[in-house]
Amino acid sequence: MATISHFLLLFVGAALINNILLTRFIGLCSFFGISNSMNTAMGMSAAVIFVMMMASTTTWLVWKFLLFPLNLGEFLYIPAFILIIAALVQFVEMYLRKYSPALYRAMGIYLPLITTNCAVLAAATEVAKPGFFKMAMAYNYTLGEALVYALGVSVGYGFALLTFTALRERLDIAPVPRVLKGNPMSFITAGLLSLAYVGLAGWFGL
Amino acid sequence: MKEWLKVFRAGLSIDNPLTVLMIGLCATLAVSSQVEGSLFMGIAVIFVLVMSNALISVLRKLIPSQVRIPIFIVIIASFVTVVDLFLKAFFPPIYAVLGIWIPLIVVNCIILGRAEAFAYHNRVWLSIADGLGMGIGFSLVLVGLAFIREFFGSGKIELLGATVLKMPTGYAPPTILMMFPGAFILFGFVVAFVRWLNERPTNRKAA
Repeated sequence: MATISHFLLLFVGAALINNILLTRFIGLCSFFGISNSMNTAMGMSAAVIFVMMMASTTTWLVWKFLLFPLNLGEFLYIPAFILIIAALVQFVEMYLRKYSPALYRAMGIYLPLITTNCAVLAAATEVAKPGFFKMAMAYNYTLGEALVYALGVSVGYGFALLTFTALRERLDIAPVPRVLKGNPMSFITAGLLSLAYVGLAGWFGL
Repeated sequence: MKEWLKVFRAGLSIDNPLTVLMIGLCATLAVSSQVEGSLFMGIAVIFVLVMSNALISVLRKLIPSQVRIPIFIVIIASFVTVVDLFLKAFFPPIYAVLGIWIPLIVVNCIILGRAEAFAYHNRVWLSIADGLGMGIGFSLVLVGLAFIREFFGSGKIELLGATVLKMPTGYAPPTILMMFPGAFILFGFVVAFVRWLNERPTNRKAA
């Protein structure tokens, strides 16, 4: 029971309270770039959930069994982790194209974009290298915790992205002053959305 | 001579990465709560951008186009590691403030974007000018944003442990400017302001 509530708290904390988009500002490029239509936002969210889980598992294993024992982590973690993500994305793309054309058509074009999505790099580094987000609170994730954390972060990403897309679709038909139309108004909307997430801060002592 | 000046100026005004092209936002909004951190972030980005642009431009005939993205990323990641270790060794307090944003320069769209769009197709000197222009354009907006947020949001500006500028006593700072929502909303208005500035001459002609 204790473990279940522990994992649940980890998930809620990663998904809502420390939402990667709206309370940490990580992954904003895709947030503004892709939130034009509901279909693209859904494809991107699915692709991010999938890649983030795989990337976090891989970086966790590489850190635990390769970089840390060899004492290479401190100065090799940036190139190592970004290469892992880039290679992984490439493999996933090749695999999907061959074995699941339907899925490939649904999320294929978003996969290359994920390589440069900072959310994936950030989450994958956080679970692998202790104390990446907060240096004072170094925390060693176990593999199970790493998986739950990555799932939480990516679900939180998808949730925020879909909410924002829905708001933006509505904004298109709203009467907005001419200078603010388009991007400026999107930023202000994102600010108000982020205000809602600030209200969650401190829940469950997270 | 003239050509590289033109390239340099484009980064500052008409192609400014933040207010016009809207790339590299993540780091900007997060770091801009303090002027000090923003200054160092700007310098770090200028360094990585100029060095990676230069190296990619030198190697552009050797890089096969099928695997260019992984090669770009490895080059960028090496320079980011240099900055990461340098700040950690010589400026630990700054490193503590910037934290994850230094490693995340690797995936900053500005740098990969310029490598792909400019350095891969242009001569070395032009690429360096482009890196400088883009980097300085990024830093100017970043520091300007940080100045507004820190000065009005906390009532004072601190640089290297000393208070440089202070609001008169009795000023009650709106803390929301220092928080996440404030960054989004302020940036929205900055973008609107820049757009208004760019559109002004045509407005005058029409009137």
